[in-house]
Amino acid sequence: MRLGVVDYGASNIHSVARALKSLGSKVLIVDTPDKFKRIDKLVFPGQGSMGSCVKKLKETEMINPLLEVVNSKPFLGICLGLQILFNSSEESKEKGLGVIDGSITKIKDINNENLKIPHMGWNNVKIEKKHELFSGIEDKQFFYFVHSFVAAKTETSITTTHYGEEFVSSLATENIFATQFHPEKSGEIGLKFLENFINWKI
Amino acid sequence: MSLAVRIIPCLDVRGGRVVKGINFKDIVDAGDPAEAAKRYDAEGADEICMLDIDASFEERSITIETVKSIASQVFIPFTVGGGIKSLKDIDMLLKSGADKVSINTSAILNPDLIVEASKEYGAQCIVLAIDAKQDGEIWNVYTHGGKNKTDLNAIEWAKKGQELGAGEILMTSMDKDGTKSGFDNNLYKELSNNLSIPVIASGGAGELTHLVDAVKFGKADALLAASIFHYEEISINKVKKALQIEGFEVRL
Repeated sequence: MRLGVVDYGASNIHSVARALKSLGSKVLIVDTPDKFKRIDKLVFPGQGSMGSCVKKLKETEMINPLLEVVNSKPFLGICLGLQILFNSSEESKEKGLGVIDGSITKIKDINNENLKIPHMGWNNVKIEKKHELFSGIEDKQFFYFVHSFVAAKTETSITTTHYGEEFVSSLATENIFATQFHPEKSGEIGLKFLENFINWKI
Repeated sequence: MSLAVRIIPCLDVRGGRVVKGINFKDIVDAGDPAEAAKRYDAEGADEICMLDIDASFEERSITIETVKSIASQVFIPFTVGGGIKSLKDIDMLLKSGADKVSINTSAILNPDLIVEASKEYGAQCIVLAIDAKQDGEIWNVYTHGGKNKTDLNAIEWAKKGQELGAGEILMTSMDKDGTKSGFDNNLYKELSNNLSIPVIASGGAGELTHLVDAVKFGKADALLAASIFHYEEISINKVKKALQIEGFEVRL
């Protein structure tokens, strides 16, 4: 089995690739449109804004092959890789992939907790719905987050996390799993999660 | 529910080896960086920090190898600092496996570096490191590993750093560093009250209560220490349990 890691040129993909390799996976860096055909599963680690990400994907002509994979193969979106699945984001005019209904908004400090933004650090992940990718992982474990924008709860939510407001820390459809946290930076539990993705059968 | 207080063991590295000095002087050898990082990860460190003390151009390649070696074995956030002068340096460190870079002297000599680095890589990956020494009512900023005094006021410089685009402030109290007499809580409290970005307190950890007090009274978001963890005087786990008893959120 070959795992692809998308490199659209503006994201730190190395830590994800390194973590997957440490678990014994064969990793292919997907940085051209043709490489999407050569992979069995795909990881999309994202950083930066939705606008610049979508723009880069269009420039490199990777957006269509990416959409094809998102609609057919096991897919893991990380951080911006979760946000880009939605229709739109408050952060930019550029539209997202629109695979999941809804929009991305800036973190709201509902109770005036004098929140520091970005939300950066270790926070609790509350399991709302059972999923294979959380097998062997207990409820309310700490994962590592770095982000300023969030997705509101949807039917696809698997876990939620509280920071200023309750937001979706991970979601899933049939072949898609996406996390707002960074499993590749979440220590042993993060590696367990990635291992579950490697073993995930849809 | 809020963010966990982060415990960050720091590896002071020179020529690919961990070293530790007292009051920025008297360097002693203390082991292999990757082995130490792995041990800290297993003990529950929330991040790893590596400072290349007096990193020079010739030693840069050794630094890169050390960064790669740590990053391939440890899967928690990893900050690297020491001798960073340009966007090219930052790029190389991030590509080698660092998640964040910590910039000290170069930020003072060239504040635009913070602006540009923050724009290019995001504020979350730029840590402004400051070495400060108290002088009466204020704290002065020192550069070049504590060797040169500047005209800058540490609190004002930290505020400026936030404005320029730094995502975190790593403040080392030179008065306290290596003394094991507790953190300079007045400094951290003053900082936290003036900033909206996280403050990492460094310098002075000797006993469990020192670490708890830096959060309780100094309002620090994260604690950085080198020798107490390195020589296993206090375990990371013990620090977290002590913080938990005081009602702070920790990752256990």
